[in-house]
Amino acid sequence: MTPISQDFAPPLKLIAPFFHFGVIFYLLSMLALLFFEPVFSYQQMDVAGWIHLFLLGFVMTIIFGAMAQLIPVVLEVGHVVVDVYYVILPLLVFGTVVMVFGFWLMPALLPYGGLFVLIAMIIFAFENIATLKKTELKTLTVDTVAWSNGYLLLGILTGFSIALGLSGDLGINVALMLKAHVYAVLGGYVVLTIMGLSLTLIPMFSLAHGFDELAVKRAFKFVIVSVAVVFVGAVLGFEWLMLIGYALSFIGILFYIYQIYIIAKLTVRKEMDVWAKSIIFAFVALFLSILLSGLYFFTELPTMLHASVWFLLLGFVSFFIIGHLYKIVPFLVWFERFAPLVGKEKVPMLHEMYSKEGANMMFWFTLAGVLLGGVALLFESDMLFKAGGSFLFTGAIFLYITMKKMLAYGE
Amino acid sequence: MCNITKETAFGAISTVIDPEVGFNLVEMGLIYDAIVDEACNVQVIMTLSTQGCPLHQMIKQWVVEAVEKLEGVGTVEVEVVWEPAWNISMADENVKKALGGM
Repeated sequence: MTPISQDFAPPLKLIAPFFHFGVIFYLLSMLALLFFEPVFSYQQMDVAGWIHLFLLGFVMTIIFGAMAQLIPVVLEVGHVVVDVYYVILPLLVFGTVVMVFGFWLMPALLPYGGLFVLIAMIIFAFENIATLKKTELKTLTVDTVAWSNGYLLLGILTGFSIALGLSGDLGINVALMLKAHVYAVLGGYVVLTIMGLSLTLIPMFSLAHGFDELAVKRAFKFVIVSVAVVFVGAVLGFEWLMLIGYALSFIGILFYIYQIYIIAKLTVRKEMDVWAKSIIFAFVALFLSILLSGLYFFTELPTMLHASVWFLLLGFVSFFIIGHLYKIVPFLVWFERFAPLVGKEKVPMLHEMYSKEGANMMFWFTLAGVLLGGVALLFESDMLFKAGGSFLFTGAIFLYITMKKMLAYGE
Repeated sequence: MCNITKETAFGAISTVIDPEVGFNLVEMGLIYDAIVDEACNVQVIMTLSTQGCPLHQMIKQWVVEAVEKLEGVGTVEVEVVWEPAWNISMADENVKKALGGM
């Protein structure tokens, strides 16, 4: 019989703050978008600041909280030291704030913020690796968790060296190191982790069963190899090697999309709740992102690359995470506050624990914002970009309100 | 004389509801069997809709508690099996219709 993963589930008071701060950072990053223009370079400090606000503050904070809960589910063993998550969150939040201010106002602050983030991520990665060593499972998902944590360590070390480089403390080629850093963190950690989570969470919530996993196994292998190839190419300055890596990533992501298509065909649950709508749009956005990156490859128009990254981050990553928040947070709250009451008194269903209207407003405003923003970047239209930003910020307000109510439900 | 049958055990378990989908375990088709011996000990054979179900242990406990409410019941054991794997065809018609799968 399968071991009991929930015996190792960390308490709500440990995980909830990750979601709370993650959503606040999302709200702040959508607000900050209103002060940007659709014409920019990724090497601009203010753009780097926004990307760190979004990726560290929102994406990483939520993923870390989710992994505190999901690592025992995936590995079927408890955390080695689950209490480290009490330390990880303040380090990550403080480090992110200092880094963002460093990028926006005072580059000399960057190594200090980076050091806090570095410590938080090293603790996270090593705790995960120690927990991995406890599991007897030998699945591809387990291997993927190991690879993604390895890439996270590489990503943060390169990131920290960039922080030292930007503050003038270390003589490195920041442009080359930046590519290695972006690929290790975004491709090696964020994308691999989301792929791994997809394989556990999407069939679980859609009640899809009996599907072949060959496509996702190939996807994992291609992405794992591609990140290593791009990383080495970037560090050594071999553009041709990086191109090979990009091509391998492209193939890997196509295999991943094909796997999701296989799962979608077997989906039993056809109910269009906020989770289902968000996941569908996330994959539409991923497809758009791939399409635009392909067009960038042939045209070399930076607007294509900007729109591709936009759809990847705000379309795919955001919607994947936000959609799952409406499943995971009610479950965590229910598990803590209502599960002990089952059989004794009436308890709510999970879908009753959030406002459908609020969630729908979040979904439609955010969707409109992502589409408008993407088009604005393609055509470099400031007016459309501001409109997209306004929709995204409004959607973020609905996300914040619904999330706050979910976390407070039954208190 | 034990007056608990497989049907009465299933009836008791039908009070246990999966909070995610909102249906009881029996109509979901998750309960495969309930074996009652002469001493009124009950062994429930069941599955879950997914192996990674975070409510695994809790659902087992709810099933035990539901069956223990039957008068005259002896010990109650629950065994979770993964073969045959659950699929929607095992669910009642109302569940299939509500989920929209068939």
